[in-house]
Amino acid sequence: KANQSPLYMTQDRTEMSEDDDDQSPPSDLRSEPPCSSSSSAVDSTPNKSRNCISSSGTMTASQPFPDHVLENVLENVLQFLDSRCDRNSASLVCKSWWKVEALTRSEVFIGNCYALSPARLTQRFKRVRSLVLKGKPRFADFNLMPPDWGANFAPWVSTMAKAYPWLEKVDLKRMFVTDDDLALLAESFPGFKELILVCCEGFGTSGIALVANKCRKLKVLDLIESEVTDDEIDWISCFPEDVTSLESLAFDCVEAPINFKALEGLVGRSPFLRKLRLNRFVSLEELHRLLLGAPQLTCLGTGSFSHDNGAHQSEPEPDYAAAFRACKSVVCLSGFRELMPEYLPAIFPVCANLTSLNFSYANISPDMFKPIIHNCHKLQVFWVCILLDLCLHDSEGPVSELGLQAISEGCRNLESILYFCQRMTNAAVIAMSENCPELTVFRLCIMGRHRPDHVTGKPMDEGFGAIVKNCKKLTRLAVSGLLTDQAFRYMGEYGKLIRTLSVAFAGDSDMALRHVLEGCPRLQKLEIRDSPFGDVALRCGMHRYYNMRFVWMSACSLSKSCCKDVARAMQNLVVEVIGSDDDDDNRDYVETLYMYRSLDGPRKDAPKFVTIL
Amino acid sequence: MDGCSRNGEISPKLLHLIPQGRRNWFHDDNTSVYNTEEKKLELKLGPPGEDEDEDGASITRHIKKEPKDKSILSLAGNHFSPSSTTNKTTSQKRTAPGPVVGWPPVRSFRKNLANGSSSKLGNESSSNGGLLKNQKCEDDNGRGKPMEPKRQQGGMFVKINMYGVPIGRKVDLNAHNSYEQLSFTVDKLFRGLLAAQRESSSSGEEEKPITGLLDGNGEYTLTYEDNEGDKMLVGDVPWHMFASSVKRLRVIKSSEISSALTYGNGKQEKMRS
Repeated sequence: KANQSPLYMTQDRTEMSEDDDDQSPPSDLRSEPPCSSSSSAVDSTPNKSRNCISSSGTMTASQPFPDHVLENVLENVLQFLDSRCDRNSASLVCKSWWKVEALTRSEVFIGNCYALSPARLTQRFKRVRSLVLKGKPRFADFNLMPPDWGANFAPWVSTMAKAYPWLEKVDLKRMFVTDDDLALLAESFPGFKELILVCCEGFGTSGIALVANKCRKLKVLDLIESEVTDDEIDWISCFPEDVTSLESLAFDCVEAPINFKALEGLVGRSPFLRKLRLNRFVSLEELHRLLLGAPQLTCLGTGSFSHDNGAHQSEPEPDYAAAFRACKSVVCLSGFRELMPEYLPAIFPVCANLTSLNFSYANISPDMFKPIIHNCHKLQVFWVCILLDLCLHDSEGPVSELGLQAISEGCRNLESILYFCQRMTNAAVIAMSENCPELTVFRLCIMGRHRPDHVTGKPMDEGFGAIVKNCKKLTRLAVSGLLTDQAFRYMGEYGKLIRTLSVAFAGDSDMALRHVLEGCPRLQKLEIRDSPFGDVALRCGMHRYYNMRFVWMSACSLSKSCCKDVARAMQNLVVEVIGSDDDDDNRDYVETLYMYRSLDGPRKDAPKFVTIL
Repeated sequence: MDGCSRNGEISPKLLHLIPQGRRNWFHDDNTSVYNTEEKKLELKLGPPGEDEDEDGASITRHIKKEPKDKSILSLAGNHFSPSSTTNKTTSQKRTAPGPVVGWPPVRSFRKNLANGSSSKLGNESSSNGGLLKNQKCEDDNGRGKPMEPKRQQGGMFVKINMYGVPIGRKVDLNAHNSYEQLSFTVDKLFRGLLAAQRESSSSGEEEKPITGLLDGNGEYTLTYEDNEGDKMLVGDVPWHMFASSVKRLRVIKSSEISSALTYGNGKQEKMRS
């Protein structure tokens, strides 16, 4: 995928797949150029042999031309280099290139906020305009990690406030952000344009109001799946009175009523607005009014998609379908927070153009979405949560697998799917693997733990095996159901492009994890819970851990002594054992292991319940 | 437990251990007559020998309404209490979703939305009980909910058996709103029976509470058979989904989970409920 993809596509992907767009590893952010410092064991460029050019020093010394000419030329060339991967490579060529690359890098991606310190960032890169920063590991979302673990934005914003006055964009994921942090941000960066907070917490509508009010050049304000406290502030009214530069406004996660009149006015004076994601406090009638005023939208979060309780029912009902029909550019649809299914047909006019459809907040059954999916020929991303198959039990049996089958037949271009259900069959999963060869993200959550194929009674090995075998572009996989080591053997054999793997309640023995650690060369993020993997398996991956962003293992069979061995053997790996305050320090059992590479050693802000080995 | 005279030997006939007047509590597996049995089961809970000062109050009265944080967490063997998170978000952060922490892997954020509006995943963990909360919502804003679970008027009794205990019991699912309540009931129903069955060298040993039924951490695990004949672990799906499909409950040894679930699953081996 080109990194030059337009803003919209990039944002959607980041949010949906939680993955980086390009395949590159995070940059080698040592503050010293290559070969000039004592060697660091960190190798952040997997699959590339490290050719440290020892002659780099002599090369520049023997240059007949002055350095600054070379650097000017390089600067003029390198400033066009956008791809992170290419930049990392360029920085390794020689000292000059390293220096110029550092000067010209304007977008920095940090996949793990503890991989380096803010100081290191600002020391190396002087002209950063955009920062993407990720904090907690994903399993923290599911209460598998105590609160106050860390990932505070504060040290980053305070360091950047001094170092990057021209900062324009901040994109945070799973970070702890306070209102003070937002206040500092709003005040420190006069040219600030984009704030994206995904799965963040710690702030409220007062912080948002400050950003809305003070960042006069704001183009993007996206609050996605974040916990936002209701400080009872009418933050929508805090936007400036005149025409805004807003292109994207997403607040579907804000659990607070909004001033609809102010919103309508804001939308009316935002001619560049393309993406609007409403929260559940916006009714269907209000949505209708907004759509009539903003037919140019490309991405829409529909809000509640149900009636306002106070609405006069006697008036002729608005023609919702007509409003949708007028929105000829909508390619991405989400919301449906309190879906009234009888109004669902209103979205039919936009189905043919949809590339992304998110029903995950909707009380929807396969019977309801099948007719819609049938028309979504261009669909690439689909999220749904099947809860109701029991209620819709028909004579042939539950419909979870029929729903998956319908999707695989209707959406041949599907690239990403997240599907929750109670039960599944291998046949349906195999069918999807054959019908949807473009899949890059396959996340199937069979909610019943250890559930086998409910028709054959066999484990789900063959289904997931078919996915890794047939979906040759697969980079992200989440498995569930009853799985034996065989499933993992398939993953190790065929999952050569997998970067992110999520495992829960699966596998029989250490061999399963071994297959993956030894067979998946691109693996970057590994999260495992409640699976019988222990020390033997952990040791099998030691050749990989420096090439990975993190490994999470909770409720497995790890011992503290083994984790200590790993920590001792790998100096640039931070090995955190996360427990609770009243844990017996002497016990050898590790409840949660979270380990990651880091250039700046163990963090200083670890809470009591974290032991860094 | 108090005043229960127990000899150290295992009696093959458990009934001998039960004082005469209490024998009608127990439901024989073979009986399929429910009427009078039901009433008695509904009213009386607890192991044999317990002081009969309860005057036939319903099951729900016996079940403590545990504080929101502690009940699920203690059952899950979990030390954290997510609701004591950042001060800012107390109104939005809920307790651990469901009996197994973090499963299904849906952000608590989404469940909060579920508690506020229509039923979604895992909202039975809130202290009000999922169904009660839904009732309240419906009163407040009068919105029709397309898939509101129907509550049955009468009791909904399912048989429950426990490994190592020859006598089965019955549980009224309608008297429960959550997995925690059910787990508590199971403990109450079988704790004494189990202790009586066990060989115990020191008489006067305390009865061990039956815990960890829902998260795999205990010695025993609660499973069920649904209307399809499939055997599954209790606790993974929303309460109302479970309640509408469960046909029979079984408490098995946690070490036998895999074999218990795979054996007998599949359409070929449908069990008659």
